[in-house]
Amino acid sequence: MQVSIKWLHDYIDFTETSDELADKLTMAGIPVENVVHAGEGLDKVVTGRVEEIKRHPDSDHMFITQVNVGQPENIQIVTGAQNVRQGDIVPVAMIGAKLPNGMKISKGKLRGVPSNGMLCSAEEMNMDLSALRDDQKNGIYILPADTQIGMPVKDTLGLDDDILEFELTANRGDCFSVFGLVREVAVLTGNTPKWPVIKAVEDDDALATDMIKIGIDAPELCSRFSARVLKNVKIMESPEWMRCRLERAGIRAINNVVDVTNFVMVELGQPMHAYDYDHISGKSLTARKAVPGENLHTLDDSSRVAKGEELVIADADKPAGLAGVMGGLESEVTDNTVTVVLEAASFNGASIRRTSRACGLHSEASGRFERGVDVTQTTRALDRAAQLLQDMGACTVTKGIVDVYPVEKQPVTVAFTPEQINNRLGTDIASEKMVEILESLEFRCKADGNGGYTVAVPSWRNDVTFMEDLSEEVARIYGFENIEATTPRGTMVQGVQSPLQDFIDRIKVTLTHIGMNEELSFSFTNPEMFDKMLLPADSPLRKAIPIMNPLTDEAPLVRTSLLASVLENAVRNLSRKNEDIRLYDVAPVFYPKELPLTELPDEVVKVAGFMSGRRNPMSWNTDNEMVDFYDAKGIVEELLVRLNINNCHVEAGEYMAMHPGKTALFKKGREIVAAVGELHPQVAENLGISKKAYIFEMDVPTLMKYSSDKFNFDVLPRYPAIVRDLAMLVDEEVNASDIEDTIARNGGKFFKNVTLFDVYTGKQIEDGKKSMAFTMQFQSNDKTLTDEEVDESFKQILDAVSREFNAELRG
Amino acid sequence: METKIEQLRQEATKAIQNVAGTLNDLNDVRVKYLGKKGELTALLRGLGKLSPEERPRVGQIVNEAREQLEKLISEKNNELKHKAMAAKLANESIDVTLPGRKTNHGHIHPLTLTLMEIKDIFMRMGFSVEEGPEIEKDYFNFEALNLPKDHPARDMQDSFYITEDILMRSQTSPVQARTMQAHEPNSPIRMIAPGRVYRRDDYDATHSPMFTQIEGMVIDKNISFSDLKGTLEDFLRQIFNKDVQVRLRPSFFPFTEPSTEVDISCVMCKGKGCRVCKGTGWLEILGAGMIHPNVLKMSGYDPSKVSGFAFGMGVERITMLKYGIDDLRLFYDNDTRLLEQF
Repeated sequence: MQVSIKWLHDYIDFTETSDELADKLTMAGIPVENVVHAGEGLDKVVTGRVEEIKRHPDSDHMFITQVNVGQPENIQIVTGAQNVRQGDIVPVAMIGAKLPNGMKISKGKLRGVPSNGMLCSAEEMNMDLSALRDDQKNGIYILPADTQIGMPVKDTLGLDDDILEFELTANRGDCFSVFGLVREVAVLTGNTPKWPVIKAVEDDDALATDMIKIGIDAPELCSRFSARVLKNVKIMESPEWMRCRLERAGIRAINNVVDVTNFVMVELGQPMHAYDYDHISGKSLTARKAVPGENLHTLDDSSRVAKGEELVIADADKPAGLAGVMGGLESEVTDNTVTVVLEAASFNGASIRRTSRACGLHSEASGRFERGVDVTQTTRALDRAAQLLQDMGACTVTKGIVDVYPVEKQPVTVAFTPEQINNRLGTDIASEKMVEILESLEFRCKADGNGGYTVAVPSWRNDVTFMEDLSEEVARIYGFENIEATTPRGTMVQGVQSPLQDFIDRIKVTLTHIGMNEELSFSFTNPEMFDKMLLPADSPLRKAIPIMNPLTDEAPLVRTSLLASVLENAVRNLSRKNEDIRLYDVAPVFYPKELPLTELPDEVVKVAGFMSGRRNPMSWNTDNEMVDFYDAKGIVEELLVRLNINNCHVEAGEYMAMHPGKTALFKKGREIVAAVGELHPQVAENLGISKKAYIFEMDVPTLMKYSSDKFNFDVLPRYPAIVRDLAMLVDEEVNASDIEDTIARNGGKFFKNVTLFDVYTGKQIEDGKKSMAFTMQFQSNDKTLTDEEVDESFKQILDAVSREFNAELRG
Repeated sequence: METKIEQLRQEATKAIQNVAGTLNDLNDVRVKYLGKKGELTALLRGLGKLSPEERPRVGQIVNEAREQLEKLISEKNNELKHKAMAAKLANESIDVTLPGRKTNHGHIHPLTLTLMEIKDIFMRMGFSVEEGPEIEKDYFNFEALNLPKDHPARDMQDSFYITEDILMRSQTSPVQARTMQAHEPNSPIRMIAPGRVYRRDDYDATHSPMFTQIEGMVIDKNISFSDLKGTLEDFLRQIFNKDVQVRLRPSFFPFTEPSTEVDISCVMCKGKGCRVCKGTGWLEILGAGMIHPNVLKMSGYDPSKVSGFAFGMGVERITMLKYGIDDLRLFYDNDTRLLEQF
């Protein structure tokens, strides 16, 4: 909705500037998004006649014009515009003008020819292009031939007017009209509106009811249908003032009949439609549901096949328009029209909304019906339209209005007590003040004798049905800024978050401490990613939930794999030459119980991570080694320790997108607690990742299940430990963790721990073998151990290790 | 004898003073004169041969000479040690202008940082943190919030639908209804609900198909609009700064009545007017209002017994303003060069 200040001034006086008024309206809940100061920057733009035009000798697209701007001498201007002819009257920006787009006009030469100004286009004058015809938008804006020359173009174009652009809320349908806005301006500025007298003179003897039959077959979708018939219609251009008002309201002027229906719509908020009477078959118009399959041929010359739920206005043969959305092409008013039927009706907002969305047609009319129009004023709108056309001498008005209004709307009443409103607002506003505010908005208040009031809601305020709605009316006029700030009293409760939230925060803090960067990714995915990640055809992860109306083809599904998201972010970073990447994400994936969804899916929070690049930040004193599998595994191990998840069984295994020979699974029984591995080389190739990368994934509910809240504090030892080292040669495929298990099992009662501190293959080690070195600690809590006590345990260990792993012990 | 002593004393003194090398050299001198077989020690031993009358006097002289020499040695010893330390320090200096060794530490995403801060502020005010599903029923996302099907306000939130009745939630508000329905009717609630929400918006500098919202709700007896104002002013001054001005503007949301947009004085220009606030000096920061009686009723609460307020805000917007980030897409772009700044 946009409206010019002049249009408001037609019906109310106020002294506020446009900006002040915009501010008052905004602070009262009628948001003005923008004030267009039309005419700004046009101070030195005047009207001029092109007296002479000839081609530029050194350019094939420029012209040299001599322009008469009402001064003794013509001025020479070079222009690149192609639409200027000799005798045209055009806007001329004189030397020194500073146009709305910031362009400064100064003396210059174009290809060697002096040019002392500029001819302007509509855009350069910051005119509202949406209200202009194509020929007015393109090239220089050609003014009417009778325009006086040497005049400020601002006055000629009526650009000495400001435009308020509203961003109205969905509840205030009444403010989608000049009258509605004037009512608000009256309350906010304390002035009284000067309403126009609306009166049509029925100067034609014909009876409207004899000429047209109006019917409502779908009363749930159309609550009122009123019509007037106009005869002897002369189709012509509307007067300048009306075209101007409309153009500033963002509506293109077309012809007097169409313009008047639009004018009344903007003025009263009642959408209207004009039919060419001679093209209404059977001389009847009925609001009915469309018959599935019938053809809807609308003004925009497009044909649609009806689904059957649309409301149409049909003549005896066919739909003559999509009710409240767009009229039909056949009964359109044309230059040949002589008799017109004017429609003013009230349609169901939800139905109009469905239809306009389904057809992709949003019109000024449909927007108003969606928000709700005042059903009581259809006849007033018809009178206003007839009056305006009559004033132009463009028609005669037949007698009577054909008005079908099956169930008359009863006025809404709401009861309130000032105490209720004060309690809701936290204010202490006097009853008299509340009544004054409500009365100023034309809510009629009647005291009920017990301190309360019964309020009759004005017919145009269909958003008000509760005491709470009245509290808003009081508050917005009283001023939100006048309401004090208080602290809620009442029951004090402790602020907590769920154990899952706490746990997620712990994961994030831990991973961040150990060098990982948190990412946040979209919850969308696409099937190609599943292919790239080598998911088997029958993988349940491919059963992702499809979105009915995805934003792009690249994101048609809701993700089932967080690893996929992390990989996408890693790829993007690598493509930007960010080489050292440590990313993790903690976020849900979505597993449908079945497809299509009949109930909400399972939302499972996962942790996923990606590492590649240098182990240490690049520096003069580090060795630039690259991360390897064990860096990634170390991250996972550290996280599990911090989450107090102990004693997982670690084994080689297979996991999605991981190298089958370089994947470790951390397990509890058969359940995978964590998986970490090298990115599968084929997956890497599919994603265009050329360096080694390592990934991990965990499932947060599983982590939570095995996370112990017990904290075992180890008493610091009082007696020294005895250390023994053990080096051995074993077959290459022997697992370190198995040796460690054997050592621990055979270590005796003083065994404390074992650490693998060296693994070596290569020179001096025969093929198929590796050298491993462990260090063990033995300690007692009761005494200082002797070598003899430890020697016994150590021997047990040596025997067990050589026996079980065929280990060859080394010095 | 006495002459001999004096001679040795002088000789030893000179030797000590002449030591220029290491502590070992000094030790050699000490051994030579004061060691078990040293020359002065030998004199001391020879005291036995003196007459009993002479013994005490000569003994005193020898001891004096010995003490004097020991003192000199000790002084010399300190001097040599200092020299050695000075030499060592001079030798060991390094180029301290070389950069220090970098540590590996990670970074929390800026949106998470803001989220944690917001949660913290509200939890200290006694708000609990609630959650709800991201794929949600139309009922909770819209209908239970007084937004029936075909309500024009649904246009404000173009949603991703999965089926006719299930969608990717377009706001965190469904957690309002879920929380109320999980509570005993009319029991007090103070909660916030942070989370991802989805709208079918084109991806540009200020819009994203997925973004983060925080919903808040307080219900109790006698909760008023002035409480809403006080709570939000308090929050905004904590999350931005204590001097921030707060302005409430009437607005419309189907689930609140009265409804308000909450603006803060522009944090970039302190309200003078700049590009970020489009010259107005104000920034729209959240939407709020008194909970609509229909919303309370639909979730089993009685609007004649309790009242409440609710609010919702975008975490991206707050984060952008806090850190001066001008493109929302940077948050979901996850470029490590951005992440590592936080």
